[in-house]
Amino acid sequence: MVKRVGIVFVALMVLTGMLFAGGSSEAKGKETLSVWCGYPEMEAFYKHAAEEYKKLHPNVEFNIVTHPLREFEQKLSATIPSNTVADIIDVSVYANQKFIEAGFIPRMPEKVGSFVNAPGRYSDFARKNNSYKGVMYGVPFFQGRTALFYNTDMFAEAGLSGPPKTMAEMYEYAKKLARRDGAGNLTRSGHSLRLSGQGSGVAEKWWFVLYPMGGTILKEGKTPGTYHAGYNNDGGRNALKYYVDAVHKDKWDDHKIKHDAEAFQLGLTAMFFRESWVIGDTAKKAPNLKFKTALVPRDARWGRITNIQNLYVTKAAKNPDLAWDFVLFMVNDANQKWMLDNVGWLPARMDVDLKEIIARKPQFEAFVATAPDYEEFGYIPIGPFDELATRLAERLVAAFMDASLANNPAGIAKVIADAAEETNQILKRSNFYGE
Amino acid sequence: MKTKSTAPAARRRGLSEIERKKRIFAYSMIAPVILIFGFVRILPIFQNFLYSFFHSSIGNPLEKFLGLANFTDLFKDHLFILSLRNTTFFALFVTFFSVIFAVLLAVMLSSPTRGGAFYETVYFLPVITPMVPVAVVWKWIYDPTYGLLNYILSWFGVAPVGWLVFPDTAMIAIIIMSVWKIVGYNMIIFLVGIRDIPESYLEAARIDGANTLQVFRRITLPLLRPIMLFVLVISTINSYNVFTQVFIMTSGPQGAPGNAVRTIVFDIYENAFRYFRTGYAAAEAVVLFLIILALTLTQFGISGSRERRERSRLKRKGASA
Repeated sequence: MVKRVGIVFVALMVLTGMLFAGGSSEAKGKETLSVWCGYPEMEAFYKHAAEEYKKLHPNVEFNIVTHPLREFEQKLSATIPSNTVADIIDVSVYANQKFIEAGFIPRMPEKVGSFVNAPGRYSDFARKNNSYKGVMYGVPFFQGRTALFYNTDMFAEAGLSGPPKTMAEMYEYAKKLARRDGAGNLTRSGHSLRLSGQGSGVAEKWWFVLYPMGGTILKEGKTPGTYHAGYNNDGGRNALKYYVDAVHKDKWDDHKIKHDAEAFQLGLTAMFFRESWVIGDTAKKAPNLKFKTALVPRDARWGRITNIQNLYVTKAAKNPDLAWDFVLFMVNDANQKWMLDNVGWLPARMDVDLKEIIARKPQFEAFVATAPDYEEFGYIPIGPFDELATRLAERLVAAFMDASLANNPAGIAKVIADAAEETNQILKRSNFYGE
Repeated sequence: MKTKSTAPAARRRGLSEIERKKRIFAYSMIAPVILIFGFVRILPIFQNFLYSFFHSSIGNPLEKFLGLANFTDLFKDHLFILSLRNTTFFALFVTFFSVIFAVLLAVMLSSPTRGGAFYETVYFLPVITPMVPVAVVWKWIYDPTYGLLNYILSWFGVAPVGWLVFPDTAMIAIIIMSVWKIVGYNMIIFLVGIRDIPESYLEAARIDGANTLQVFRRITLPLLRPIMLFVLVISTINSYNVFTQVFIMTSGPQGAPGNAVRTIVFDIYENAFRYFRTGYAAAEAVVLFLIILALTLTQFGISGSRERRERSRLKRKGASA
């Protein structure tokens, strides 16, 4: 009996060995690159880039996985420290910074560094906001710039000839554009504000209004590399008042109606702030929607958020040289143009000529247009940014629901002061605080 | 006394060769499972206790020894206190309603009726459906604009309700969904218990003139007590560990306000896997463990003392007779 079991065991071992030997000889010369991304709409781009790359390198296979952003961030949290992440990840600096600071993301090789640092290739803003201790770890890929989307039919119906130029004008336009049913329920919001939801998104969208009003999430301290809350001021209080008044005083937006791109595509809002991907998305989901885009209206100052999305090669990459080669392939001229034309995300490279696409799709114009005093702002590349923005978002969500804050400057000031105190506490705990 | 203490040794000495080999074989077969279980389930619990005394960073969970600082910070953290309050509220209501409805359903389905098996399946279906798709479907049901619930309510002239967007209704909405999900499981357990009660007890009670309610109160319910304890303990543990439905229902621009339905496991998840405050999250997990342990022991204690009281009552009754 024992002898028979032994024979079976040896036979199994030999068979297993043969299988592995066969597999490895078959796989000889084949390379597989895995790519993960937090934007499902980018899957089309990755598939296109992979097909094009395979024409030049037929031995390379691809494993492309995209997830909704928050799920993707969770996946990174579990897989980067355990070194089981994909070879290439497409992620913004705010989500990846903590891993860079902890030494989990390798630096780019010299060849890639010289491509990134070529004069005129990327804006100074992109370089500065993607550097940690003066070093860039990822290749800037596309940028999430904000513009105002507005429905031209609804504007015409309300007798509005063009987009609002100031924040005050935007508020008045929203009042005119909102529609209600007989019972007084909002059937169309004047401007879809981000009032609820998980993560830091609510704080990011509030920032679009906060910045022009003179505030910002973090302000650099006297010592470079240190920060403190930049919204415990008139800008912060006015930005919160803008939201509270919209929901509780003039009621041109509320929690019950649909929000964001979905609302815009369904005709449930007249305007909203978002990135350029909405153009590509709307072309698929609501091809007959008539809309235009405009620069973010001004107030005390003028500017838009620019969130750079980078391509990183991870420590888990089995063939980092090949991975970097594919990264450089993805940011070549042809692929950067394909991305804008077919997906809608704005390329990060400054030296790619996009005129022909913008002439065909004029909605992209507001994302590339600028003015001398039109500022760019964005996520600060420090590890605790995600936490402090998420904590701020949670407080804002509660404040937007609080009807007692309408006509209550003291209440608004308290919300802002308490939130700023928490932001500063997180910075202190992480050794990033500076007056 | 001496015989008693040496008996196992004698039995061991008395083992036949075949019996001894059988045992070695059995232990060697069990050993890998025990080792894997210890490695993936038991060791992490001890590691978690250890981490709770440390400041941690990504890749270095034992960066700096803090003593009890994580625990003292916890009770100053408004989000942890809020999570604790929300979780307790959730656990209390989910446990209460899921047990009440489960008992009622089990009693109704216990008598052999036509289609009984069909209804058992219907009520049990949510239990076997994975939580993620269930939570997504309920999120659609609760949608303020296109949701099925608001549509049905509109027939009765009720204005649209933002079920998941307002703090007052968000927790209630998640409790309703969670009770619906768990009630089938509790029902099946109670059903097994009820069907296990000897028919002669019920018949005797009926002959003595007891009506349905009296039979239920005096016979069914007391005999279900061990099952009730099991269901209460399992429901409490599951409710305190609530995460998936909260996570799904708070995601997206139309999601529930994070803090209104913030629960302890959600808070642990955020601290551990978003902000990498592993030590702090470990301290939260220790507190959660202690709460569940205390509640379970209390439930066992209450049930045990009831049983002791019952036994002594019967004893007294027997003596007086």
